[in-house]
Parts: sequence; C-alpha cells; structure tokens
Amino acid sequence: MIGPLRVLILLTLLIGSLFGQLLDPAALTLFNQPADIWPTYNGDYSGRRFSSLTEINQSNVNLLKIEWAYRISGIGPQRGVGAPTIKSTPLMVNGILYFTIPDHVFAVNALTGALLWQFDFEDHGGHLVGQRGVGMYGNWLYFLTPDGWFISLNAKDGKERWRHKVADEKLQYFTTMSTMIVKDHVLVGVGGDAMDVRGYLEAHDPETGALQWRWWSEPQKMGDPGSESWPNQAAMDHGGGMTWLPGTYDPDLNLLYWGTGNANPVFAGQGRRGANLYTASIVALNADTGKLVWCFQASPHDTHDWDNVETPVLLDAMIDGKPRKLLAQGARCGWFFLLDRTNGQNLVSRPFTGTGNWAKGVDSKGQPVPDPSKEPQVDGSMIDMPAMGATNWPPPSYDPQTELFYLNGTEGYGVAYLYDTSPEPEGYGGGGGGSFDTRSSLFAIDIRTGKVRWKHSHESGMSRNDAGMSGGILTTAGHLLLTGDSGQFVAFDPASGNILWHQRLTAPLSNGPSTYMLNGKQYIIAGAGDTLYALTLAGK
Amino acid sequence: MTSPGRRIIRANLTCIVAGIFVLSAQEPDAMRPRPAAGPTATREFLGLGPRPDAAAAKKGEPLFKQNCAACHGETARGAQGPNLVRSLVVLHDEKENEIGPVVRDGRPQAGMPPFPQLSADDVHNISEYIKLQVEQAANRGIYNQIYAGSKNALRGDPNKGSEFFKVHCTGCHSNSGDLAKIGAKFPESSLMQSRFLWPASREPERATVSTLSGETVTGTIVKLDDFDLALRDSKGDNRYWPRSQVKVNVVDNLQGHRSLLPLYTDADIHNVTAYLETLK
Repeated sequence: MIGPLRVLILLTLLIGSLFGQLLDPAALTLFNQPADIWPTYNGDYSGRRFSSLTEINQSNVNLLKIEWAYRISGIGPQRGVGAPTIKSTPLMVNGILYFTIPDHVFAVNALTGALLWQFDFEDHGGHLVGQRGVGMYGNWLYFLTPDGWFISLNAKDGKERWRHKVADEKLQYFTTMSTMIVKDHVLVGVGGDAMDVRGYLEAHDPETGALQWRWWSEPQKMGDPGSESWPNQAAMDHGGGMTWLPGTYDPDLNLLYWGTGNANPVFAGQGRRGANLYTASIVALNADTGKLVWCFQASPHDTHDWDNVETPVLLDAMIDGKPRKLLAQGARCGWFFLLDRTNGQNLVSRPFTGTGNWAKGVDSKGQPVPDPSKEPQVDGSMIDMPAMGATNWPPPSYDPQTELFYLNGTEGYGVAYLYDTSPEPEGYGGGGGGSFDTRSSLFAIDIRTGKVRWKHSHESGMSRNDAGMSGGILTTAGHLLLTGDSGQFVAFDPASGNILWHQRLTAPLSNGPSTYMLNGKQYIIAGAGDTLYALTLAGK
Repeated sequence: MTSPGRRIIRANLTCIVAGIFVLSAQEPDAMRPRPAAGPTATREFLGLGPRPDAAAAKKGEPLFKQNCAACHGETARGAQGPNLVRSLVVLHDEKENEIGPVVRDGRPQAGMPPFPQLSADDVHNISEYIKLQVEQAANRGIYNQIYAGSKNALRGDPNKGSEFFKVHCTGCHSNSGDLAKIGAKFPESSLMQSRFLWPASREPERATVSTLSGETVTGTIVKLDDFDLALRDSKGDNRYWPRSQVKVNVVDNLQGHRSLLPLYTDADIHNVTAYLETLK
C-alpha cells in the first residue's frame, strides 16, 4: 500500500529537493538505519543502540577527538532542577541535529555545531526533570513540554505548526518523552506519580495532531481482563503506570513494546492489594489500534518506585539452535529478563545485582513474586539493591557481536519506609531511606543466562562523588562500547570491559551517545550537561 | 561506628534521609547525596502552584468539618461524597474560581446542597484547608514534617538487639565508650538506623599511594576515580597522579559494616535500633 507520505516522497524525488529536511520513512527500520542518519531516539526501532559503523574502531579509537562542541547559552537554571542538562538523544537528518532540553528545541549543523534555529517555550507547570528529544515525520518535528503540550514544528525553521494538550499538569502529569513515529502514528507517553493518576499511551495523527487511539495502563472497569489484580475501581483509576520513555517496535509483527511505570500510591500498597496490572510491566500493543496483545509484569504490586520503563530491547539470536525473535530488558527492579517478543513467553529471569531478595522467586510466567515482608515498613525493610532501583532511563545497549546486553546501574542495599498507614493512602505514602555500600556499575549480561559476564564497578565514598558510570550506552561494529565514566567519555572493549580510550568533558555524560556518517566521516555525538559534543578521528 | 558530634550526624542524615525526596522517580544514581529539599523546593520542582495559606487553612478546618466532612470525610479524602484531594475541581481551582460556585450553588443533581450561608472568606478558608490536604499527599518534600512521628517507630526487641550487638559490634564499638548515650544523639530512630547500617562519613577518606618512582605518599583523598587521583598530603600540598601510574591503598573503615549488610534480617535491624535507643 502506498501511503500519502510515500506519494509525497515520490513527487519530491521527481520534482527535486522541495523539502531539504524531509525524513524518508524508509530510514525507520527495525535493526539497520542508514549510515548517514539517526532518525529516532534509539536510532532504529530495536532500541539496541548498536551501530554497524566501523570507521572508528579499536585500532584507531586513540585518535578520537572533539570536533566541535555546542554549549547551550542564555538559559539560566531551570525551575526545580538547576542548570540545563541534555538528556535527549539528538536526531540527525540531512546534516542537521535536533535536540532538546525541557522547554527548548535546538537545530544545529551536524558538521560544525553552528546553531540554525532554537524554539523556546514557556511552561505553566509540570516537571522539568528531563526532555528526551523530538520525533520526526517528513518535514515535521514533534515536541512535548513539561506541562503536557504536544507541539509540531517545521524542521526547516523551528516555527510552530500546531499544538494540542495531551496531559493535565494540574493532576501532576508531565511529558518528557521523545515522541516516536510508527507508520502514520506519533506516539506520546506521559509521566506523573505525585497524585495517583492513571498512565496512558496515545497515538496522534502526524498531520493534524488528532488523537487516533489511547491505551490506558489499567483496565477500564472492574470485570475487564486484568481488573482481578485490583481491589476496586477507585484503586484502578488512580493506579499509576506511566509511559514516559520511548518504546520499541517490530514492523513485521506490527507490535509496539512499551515499559510502564510503578503503581500508585508509590510506596504505600495497602490500598491496592493485588498485582496491579498493567503497571511496572512490559506490554506489547498493536501499533494501529493500541490494543494489548501480551503483558509481562516485572514488578508485580510494586511498592518501591520501580518504573519498568527501561528500554525493551529487541534482538534476534539463536536459542537452543533455533533463531528467535527476542526482547531483553534490564529492569529497575534489578532483574534481567529475556522474552520471546512474538508472545511474551519468558526465557530468562535473573537478578543482575544482589540476590533479588524482594521476591520469593518467580511464577509460572517467569515474573518475580514479591515478598510481602519486603514491602516498605514503618520501621524500614531492607533489600539487597538500592531502594530507588538498580537502573533507570539512561539507554542500555545490545551488541550482536558479543551477544551481551549492557546497562549502567547502581548496586548496594536500601531501606524502604512506609509513612501513610491509612487503609487508602495517597501520593508517595513512603520513601526510600538511605542507600548503603552503593556502587555504580557497568554490567555486561549474557542474554541466554542473565549472568553478568563482566562488570566495571566503582566503590562508593563521600570523597569519590565524581566516580561512577553516567549516561547511556552505544555499541558499534568497531568493537567499541561508549558511555560515561567518572566525568569522562569512555570507550570500553565490549568483550572484556577494558578501557580503551577516554576524553574529559565539561560534565558527566548525561544522554545516550549516538553516531552516523557524514561527508565520509564517522561522528560520535555525546551530551554532557549543557554541552553537546561531536567527536571524530584526528586526521580524517 | 565512630562518634562524631551531633551536628555532623544531623547534617549527614538529613542529607541521606531528606535527600531522597529531592530525587525524582526519573533520576538514576539514588546513591548520590544531594542537598536536602524541603517543602518549598519540592513544591517548585513539582510545579504544585501557590503554597496553601496555613492560617486560612486553620480557620477553614472547623468550617470544613462542620459543613463538608459528613460527605467528604474528615480529611477530604471522601466518604459517601467524592474524594476532594483527587478532585478535578479542586486541582484546577485558582482563588476559588472553581470551588466557590460549587460550594455556593451546590450540585443538586449529584445530591450536594448549596451553602449560601458561607461567606467568601469562609469559602476561601475551606478551600485552603482542602488544598492543604492535597499538599500533604502530593508534596513529598513535606513528609519529613507530617510523618515525623512515624520515624520514631520502634518495633524491635532491645534485648535481642543487645545480643546481636555483643556478637557482631563489640569488636569495634562499646556501649559505654564510643556509643555511650548514642540513643540521645539522634532526633529520629530511623536516622540512627540508617547511620549504623552505613555510617558514610563526610570526613575525608585517607589513602596511601605508591608512585612509579618508589615514593610513598599518604594523605586525604580529594579525587579518586578510574582516571585521576588527587591527594592532599601531610604537608597540606596538593598532589596529582594519573590513576594508571600509581598503586592506591584506600583505608577502609567500614569493612565491619559492609560485611554485616548481607547478614541482617529486618528483625535484626529493628532490634539493634531498639537497643541503641536505650543507650541514653
């Protein structure tokens, strides 16, 4: 079937370059986006953040140097969060990089770092905790603001085309996601867990912004499938399950894979007895209807703020001699999961840090079974991982050359406290109280066993605050793993974990690195605090 | 467990315990200490709007209880009438523009009578009382205040805690020496619990460095990570080496605490806390 956009592209090719910024939808692929483009948050739909580029590789990485840096200027401390911090992964389309911080979009020349245009927005509420980037469709960009505005911009000049309200900041919703484009759908997720609201994921029309479908993170009414995991309608209506990170997509199966956030009230679970579907889960949704196809719950009846939004990474590998379509996740609850992405069948469930002592084991679907005695207690309950979670949003990576899954995480011990002991608590209702013997670690996990093959770990210490992993991970066919370590940008050997190269930056790596070829040269892009860096090989 | 002064203990633990409220659910690195955020900073971060007027809320409380609580519950969390803490009308209200008409005119079709006898001031005071209830649920920066009592909850058995202490702690600590009157030094028992589990100190750590040239330097660590080692030596001079060019031995004062972490049951922790609280 030829959609209107494809017709437009054909016309464009016939007439000549009408639209200099146009993104060819063929660039959006499951595993292999073209070399000269980074068209979506994760590069391709798989979320592997593995690039097939090899110009920069182990033999020459010592020549990697900063080609240019773009420093955000004229934007002071942002409300409640301080200095501007780049958490977005820039898109790179036709030689232009598009990236964001809360309330602001920037377009810079990918060869020089020169600013082409900047879009500034004034929010009226919401959280400025992060902004992960824009999505692109044809000549249009899609941006979400802290207070729930969904805005389309012209990629050429940053001029606003239209805006729609997609989330109510008065209910403590906020929007930080990098919008994701799948066929003729712009996917929009939401954050917000201060006031016990329901998570949802929406698809919007890329031309008009009109709502196409909405999937709620909880069943709609008692009696619906999944409602048996809630005690009553009110608990379900206020059950949380936010959708604040981009998911992944398999075009052949036409399935979207999305991680959902923790259940609400966050730490006080006594008013929501049951597993609380579909919070803290990986869900597979039909991309055209938003209908649930399968669900795997990573943290049933979550009471530790363990958003399960970490990228559900799609990969193909041989399992027991057979090629399988798989999905891997390093979850905030401290476990690694490997699933069959066609049906959600579990192949591996294993803690990557600690012993997973918040769970009594796994059920028949491979889902951890939470130990009620490890729920937050008034005088504290200790688990052998940080109470606030073992990993978070910074993007992980899967390298098909090593068949290892990489993530940056935190290890140690944590205690969770219950404050609101009423039968129907509201808000957070408790908190994580301290993290003990914490270590910041880069994990390399064997996908077939979930065992940690190697780990690069930093001990804690009050005088060693700068030591530790930061940002997301990129792996490349040049046998490189790029991430942040101790305030520097670092290349590791993905097979062994040895450090191959490091470059001091002005701040710790704060986004997921990306890469592309431009004018015959491989670029690596990294965001560190208020500065975006482009690195290339010296002499190239 | 060392025995630093009360001021230092409080500073550390405010950091550890209050610091968690600054952390957003969307932030990694929970281990990093951050400046404590009280109600105001958290309110700003969350974008909760104007702070409820405490004086008005206090005047509004009896009015609410008299006129509203029968249907909406004593703390506005709902009874046979709707929960107002989660009410769209309340959350969208600015200066009674939403709440005012509902109170004055009622919602006859929903069974709510009008309250024409309430003055504009009354409505303002009632609405500030309701917004204070919203604040207490949504603004986690205020939890330290409103749940201060529960932070002293003690369910442990001090006798069992004493036994645990004898077996595991007396190698380094004494209940009549460094820990004498420790129970009087903490404003909340949960702070003491965090402190004995992991007595992370803000005092500088010490390390001994062996250089390639055979020099040995001991000093306090300024920076130690995968790439850099900066030290202040005994003369007060700043020294620096690339990490790869030296051998470093960091003095680990926490080995005893580290080795206990995998062994504790929650009961052990609560028992030891209850025991230490008796040392006053």
